[in-house]
Amino acid sequence: MNSPSLWHALLAIGLLAAIAYGSRVLGLLVMSRVPLGPKVQRFVDAMSTSVLIAIVAPLIVYGDGGARLAALATTLVAILWRSPLLAIGLGMVAAAAWRW
Amino acid sequence: MTRGRHARGMMMKRQANSEAWLDAPGIWRGLLMMMPVAAFTVAFGLAFGVAAVHHGLADWEAMLLSTLVFSAPSQFAALDMWHSSMPLLALATVTVAIHTRHMLMSAALYPWLHTLGRGRQFAMVLLMSDSNWAMALGQYHRGERNLGILLGSGIALWGAWILGTLVGVTFGGGISQPERYGLDVIMLCFFLMMLFGGRPRLVMAMPWLAATLAALAAYHWLPPYLHIMMGGLAGGLVAVVMPRNRAGESAS
Repeated sequence: MNSPSLWHALLAIGLLAAIAYGSRVLGLLVMSRVPLGPKVQRFVDAMSTSVLIAIVAPLIVYGDGGARLAALATTLVAILWRSPLLAIGLGMVAAAAWRW
Repeated sequence: MTRGRHARGMMMKRQANSEAWLDAPGIWRGLLMMMPVAAFTVAFGLAFGVAAVHHGLADWEAMLLSTLVFSAPSQFAALDMWHSSMPLLALATVTVAIHTRHMLMSAALYPWLHTLGRGRQFAMVLLMSDSNWAMALGQYHRGERNLGILLGSGIALWGAWILGTLVGVTFGGGISQPERYGLDVIMLCFFLMMLFGGRPRLVMAMPWLAATLAALAAYHWLPPYLHIMMGGLAGGLVAVVMPRNRAGESAS
């Protein structure tokens, strides 16, 4: 397989690292310009969990049966027992079992 | 970045709502809280290491990526472009799109961090990733102010991710289909745990519905990876325009 040259690879890794860290810093810089009123608090509060919703929604809707079964198992365990280890573990087992 | 902000934290007790501090016990506590997830992160890092080997990356390239970038989705996306004519502009564009969510995530941490100096703020988000951000912010909403929770949990995940990658590139040949072992649903399950394992608040029903619809629409019609930002913004906006009395000012 053709691999990029050493400098090409280093440049790519540096680029990725800069973007990955820069995005985290940028969020703080933007917020430091915005006064923290109750409206902004409410926005940030709802936005933070909505980000998670936005990540999982397509994974469930467009995922295979294994992903959906995993989502169902994890959500039920999370609500009923609130144990992360059990919830995530059972989710993985459910997905693996569906695809067997 | 080290410790010893405890004393100041005590002195500022009168404004317990806005004061943040950092100490070693807090870091340790964050580390321990993240251990169950870190165990899965090792498996996930292993999946990345295996995929990297299959895409022809050198071991050190995979290790450097995991150490410096510390982000599963952008690292996996980069693998597909990792060949002799790797297009840096396309790589940067995809990575920016993937990382727009981290902008929103660190913005959500700002109320917690805003009393710190700028250098400390920037240091605190160094190891912020999806799962420890979600966990730490959940703790913040329950009244936690010790930033060790954020930092320690980040250290746990970072170490686990690097360790997993190392195992993956070392024994890479053995596993060919990570999805057969359910490795690809770890993040999905973790986020669902974060959403429903706490106390899902009824006031979030409308924002979450808006987030779902916006994310699915963006997933369908916009360039890849922007759906996360769109969903987050939609949820936040709906919460702001909702009638005040339904928006539960008594948060947590």
